[in-house]
Amino acid sequence: MIGDKDIALWRGEDGKIRAWENRCPHRGMRLSYGIVRGNTLTCLYHGWSYDGTGGCAGIPAHPDLTPPKTIRTKVYRAADSGGMIWVANPEEATEVPAIDGAWAPNRSIHVDVAPANIAALTEGIGAELQSKITDHAAILRVPNIEEDILVAFLDMKEHGAMIHTAVPAKATEAVAIAVSKLSTHLRQVFKASSAA
Amino acid sequence: MIQLHDYPLSGNCFKVRFLMDQLDLDYQSTLVDFYPGYEHKSPRFLKINPLGQLPVIEDNGQTIRDAQAILVYLATAYDTSGTWFPRDRQGEIYQWLAFADELTGSISAARLHDAMFYSLDVAKARARGTKLLRIVDEHLWFTEKDGHDWLVPLPHPTIADVACLPYIALAEEGGIDLAPYPSVARWMERFMRLEKFKPMPGMMPLEMPKETP
Ligand code: FES
Repeated sequence: MIGDKDIALWRGEDGKIRAWENRCPHRGMRLSYGIVRGNTLTCLYHGWSYDGTGGCAGIPAHPDLTPPKTIRTKVYRAADSGGMIWVANPEEATEVPAIDGAWAPNRSIHVDVAPANIAALTEGIGAELQSKITDHAAILRVPNIEEDILVAFLDMKEHGAMIHTAVPAKATEAVAIAVSKLSTHLRQVFKASSAA
Repeated sequence: MIQLHDYPLSGNCFKVRFLMDQLDLDYQSTLVDFYPGYEHKSPRFLKINPLGQLPVIEDNGQTIRDAQAILVYLATAYDTSGTWFPRDRQGEIYQWLAFADELTGSISAARLHDAMFYSLDVAKARARGTKLLRIVDEHLWFTEKDGHDWLVPLPHPTIADVACLPYIALAEEGGIDLAPYPSVARWMERFMRLEKFKPMPGMMPLEMPKETP
């Protein structure tokens, strides 16, 4: 989800990550249910397939037809960086951030209430901001954790948020486990308060 | 031959079919018109299971109801490999069988509400289901970290996985999004890649079905 838009994320054999609107141009089936073969994605519903650029590459009911170029999925800019997948919000002219160093993905958790901004998330973690990457991502220093960690959150508005963490690739098992436990704890921090 | 009182859209019946396929057991399935026929509440069926629930098996003169109990029965009676219900891990396995009952009471209930129009407190069922998914996702994250693939950390799946799989895999039919649970997604994929796995309706296949258009 980006804002209120549902996204289908997939990776072809070439290793490239793709982010498309989660809607088949044929009848609107969710493309996230589709099946990847090589570098094409095939919709589960009627089997229309799309190449890596989002153009329709084949329609099983019309095997001899070269699909018209106008049949295309809506494509978002996406890239791997810092052990996470980044998708650019099409409404803003954001670029996918380049993050230095090698990072290993850690936990991804759902919280009921989205943090207001990266500062609120930093505070919720009880951490200190090392460097801000975007309005939704930063590198943080957490007391008692010997490595800096990378944190990013995906604001899903009334559906809460996903919070993703990554640790330096060289981090020890103990660090990974401590960060994972910290992630779990965030559910308590960003939960719906029953008070009005 | 084992008789199974079966319903193709029931996750609980799926568990029993899956294990019988894994164990290469011959069985005969008798279809019960659960919805819209409510045949499981008919006097004829209530004689077989007074609780009016599926699945039920009849084998060697015994009638056994309750999906989890049937898994225990089949593994104990027929699993010569001893991997599906290993003796020394039974405590852990029972814990997950009880967890599977909780899944039936929450996620499966939400699905009955959405797909078969049962009247029940669906918001409460979904909230409970979400809580359970968080628990299992967290558990699987730590098991994966230790290099294990299954609910009970062994080199192979057990009936704990069989009991928990279907209602988790069918959660979206009950309006519960599975995207927030990455460890659960990886576990489901490993399960669906097991030999002889046959998806039931509502479970998304990993490969394109091979049929002519
Ligand atoms: S909806 Fe995708 S092929 Fe028909």
